[in-house]
Amino acid sequence: MTGSVWVVLPLACLTGGALAVYLVARLWTSRNDRLALFTALVLVAALGMLAPLFGLTQAPLSAAEGLPTWGYFGPGGAFLRADAGALVVACVALGLGTLVTIYSGRYLALDRRQENYYPLLLLLVTGLVGMVMATDLFNLYLFCELMSVAAYVLVAFRRHLDTAIEAGLKYLVMGSVGTVTILMGLSFVYRETGTLVLPLMMGAPGPWTRAGTACFLVGFGIKSAVVPLHTWLPDAHGRAPSSISTMLSGIVVQSVLYALLKVCLGLGFPARDLGTLLMVLSLFNMTLGNALALVQTYTKRLLAYSTIAQLGYIMFSLGIGLRYALPIAIQAGFFLLIAHAAMKGLAFLCKGVCHFYYAATQIADLRGTAARMPLVAMAFSVSLAGLAGVPPLAGFAGKWFALSGGLQASGVLVYLGLVIFLLNSLLALGYYLPLIGTLFTSQTSEVSSQIRISPWMALPLVILGTLILAIGFYPGPWLDWTAGASAYLLALGR
Amino acid sequence: MDIETMWLVTILGAPLAAALLLSLLGGRGARMAGWMAGLAAALSLAGTFALLPALQRGEDPTLGFRWIPAAGIRLTLHIDWLTFPFLITEAAVTLLAVVYTWGYHRTDERTSFFYALLLLFAVGMSGTTLADDMFLFYIFWELMLVASCALIAVWGEGEQRGAVALKYFIFTHLGSLMVLVGLIVLYDATGSDSFSALRAGVTLAPGLVMTVTTLFIVGFCVKMAIFPLHLWLPDAHTVAPMPVTIMLAAAMLSMGTYGVLRFPLSIFSPAQMTSFAVPMMVAGIVSEIYGALMALAEQDIKRIIAYSSVSQMGYILFGLGTLTFDGIAGATLHVIYHAIVKALLFMCVGLVVRATGRRRITELGGLGSAMPVVALCTAAGALAIAGSPPFCIFDSEWMIFAGGFHTAHIGLSILTLFGSLLTVAYALWFVGRIFFGARPQGLTVGRLPWAMVVPTILLAALALIEGLFPAPVFDWVAHELTLILGGVW
Repeated sequence: MTGSVWVVLPLACLTGGALAVYLVARLWTSRNDRLALFTALVLVAALGMLAPLFGLTQAPLSAAEGLPTWGYFGPGGAFLRADAGALVVACVALGLGTLVTIYSGRYLALDRRQENYYPLLLLLVTGLVGMVMATDLFNLYLFCELMSVAAYVLVAFRRHLDTAIEAGLKYLVMGSVGTVTILMGLSFVYRETGTLVLPLMMGAPGPWTRAGTACFLVGFGIKSAVVPLHTWLPDAHGRAPSSISTMLSGIVVQSVLYALLKVCLGLGFPARDLGTLLMVLSLFNMTLGNALALVQTYTKRLLAYSTIAQLGYIMFSLGIGLRYALPIAIQAGFFLLIAHAAMKGLAFLCKGVCHFYYAATQIADLRGTAARMPLVAMAFSVSLAGLAGVPPLAGFAGKWFALSGGLQASGVLVYLGLVIFLLNSLLALGYYLPLIGTLFTSQTSEVSSQIRISPWMALPLVILGTLILAIGFYPGPWLDWTAGASAYLLALGR
Repeated sequence: MDIETMWLVTILGAPLAAALLLSLLGGRGARMAGWMAGLAAALSLAGTFALLPALQRGEDPTLGFRWIPAAGIRLTLHIDWLTFPFLITEAAVTLLAVVYTWGYHRTDERTSFFYALLLLFAVGMSGTTLADDMFLFYIFWELMLVASCALIAVWGEGEQRGAVALKYFIFTHLGSLMVLVGLIVLYDATGSDSFSALRAGVTLAPGLVMTVTTLFIVGFCVKMAIFPLHLWLPDAHTVAPMPVTIMLAAAMLSMGTYGVLRFPLSIFSPAQMTSFAVPMMVAGIVSEIYGALMALAEQDIKRIIAYSSVSQMGYILFGLGTLTFDGIAGATLHVIYHAIVKALLFMCVGLVVRATGRRRITELGGLGSAMPVVALCTAAGALAIAGSPPFCIFDSEWMIFAGGFHTAHIGLSILTLFGSLLTVAYALWFVGRIFFGARPQGLTVGRLPWAMVVPTILLAALALIEGLFPAPVFDWVAHELTLILGGVW
């Protein structure tokens, strides 16, 4: 065992925490709010343990040197490495996870089997953090599976509902296809190189490695909902409990995208080609996501399709950055990732509040929210306006950086992409604005009285809403934060 | 912080603070909301005037600090001679619209939010003109849209308000996106988002100059509602509550003009702009004639005045398109004078609707004896918009036409001149049908609140005074041209 113990400490904390929460629930108390508090403490502790890594990961000189690692290095090795991009993703996951846990302190109060929910949530985050940090394909595969299995179960958590079972099953089947494809790619790569450690494969890839890379692209493509492999997402994100949708839409699919980039670049896929591929695919993602979101009648399905579209924006920025080696475009991609996590997370949480208090599932059910729960209506509007890219919210800053990064490159594909990007952001107004309008439409049928929402739910809403405003008003520090990530990815692609 | 900076902050800060306070107070602040909004708007106007001496001394008060160092983005407020005429127009229109609201708006528990959004709308407009950075410019530019859209969606008249607000948002956002792309191209070219850097000069590939200029002009023409990009305007102006309509028509439309002056015209040399002269002039004429014809064809008195805006913006675009001293000065003067007259006409429409409860022109008539003051004000407004001396618009139209005759395109200039005949037609027809002739059966006239009448009279007087003594305002406007055109003319 060599290396920096700080890399593995958060994972140990999360895994141990999962076990501890389960034991607490079994042996001591199964009260929902206590379990939520305990879980939140575990997540905050893990977040705190990531803090020392920040100083160590900024602006590495090369991809392999100087980053904190933990494990055996060598042909048969297995190790974790905390690069700057992984840290950004992990921090977003832990932060969002903490807020979701606090929110669940009330949101899950009417459910049963919370002793399964919180440990599974912790395992989901463990898998995610491990996946983005893993630098050998074996660990990557294991952590990815840990995350996925936890996600399947959580999607079907309300198992008394047929729709939940159906969505969970669909997610499981599609996800397993992805897993098997990844496993196949892993074996192809091992056959040729004799190792699974990514930094040892820096040479020119042979035919088996290329085949393996293609398998990884498809497998991770399924799990990160790249069109046309996205079909499971609207069901899974639309049927899961809102708190879980928040995690899935906010960070899980994006973290898989990051793993995809890391693996493909690590296996010697030229950054230029990967960038081109991402740009082309992203255009389908944004167009299809936005077009289908326009016709949805269920709020959560609408938000799920919007995730597909927003994922397209992120892919587009990352793609331009990789193709033209533009750090600012990659930074914009990560910035969009952070902003999207806050905005989409908030949107799902707000939707969950409406569902919790008056069983709103369709868009029309949200009428009169402003009169009943002004705070929720405000927060929901902030998140939707942010997603629509209205200044001065976080989404606009993301759009600005993406555009300014994109316009530094020149090429037919970039210009075409930018036009489609802009048309899409116009198209997206067609569903975000009416949704905001619905919140503020007064309900005609019944007398609306104000509902006091629980502080467990109000706190995450306020924090995320403030964060969206803060990121939008003062995007500088957030952009700086992603500088290391873009430097790392560019170094990896070289 | 010297006194100029303080006033600079007050112009934006007073309405912003009042808006925040009003939204926090909510229903509890409903009774005093009007007074607070009026005070804030008055402070904003006072701040604008207080900066005039500094401008005349040749200073340009600036307040700025670093915002996003990694991307070279700053946050700077700045006032110069190009800003000033627009700023004063917005501040004055806002104050009058707020006063008009005192009489127009019935107090309920949402009143505070109405005033708060009006003030945010005003902040958006004055922020757009004061901003010296693209990032900030665009934030205020969209704030203006968001606030006005919310006002239409919530307080609009009729069941269609949600759809109209959506149409308004999407249409104008399309223009905003074009502007955004243009801004970002300039930002990438200069490496800084500051307008000062742009004024110092920017070198772009000739093809890129064409693209950027086209994007800016088309984008800003959406805001100016130039045919065929005007489709949002008649609906939005008709559905919006009257104070919002006044601010939309009198102040927000002028933001498009400001954009054209600030971006393509100040940044690129007249030589680079020449190829745009004829398209702008032609689009202006088409808009002028189309708007006037539609105004003649409309039945709803609010829509008539709304289409008249399309027509008037046509004059302005024509003036800008001439690229001459007279034409551009005339266009800027026309922005100010059009604001006065259009606010006046909409206020009169509001008074007629309030007094009679009717909006179709065929159901109105013979009101002259029942409401002589309103009749007089409307007549003044109609004569002014028809461009008859001694009202103010005569001066600006004179300048615009003079600019047209300085160019090589005399035919186009003659066409505009004759196009203005249509303006006379709808303006006089409008007054004639409402205030003269026989009064239809069952048309009763209610009492009018003073808060609605006083601003109307004030504006009618202003339209006359400005027409008789245009020198001070002309002096302000003339200063701007040295900024735009340098020493070329």
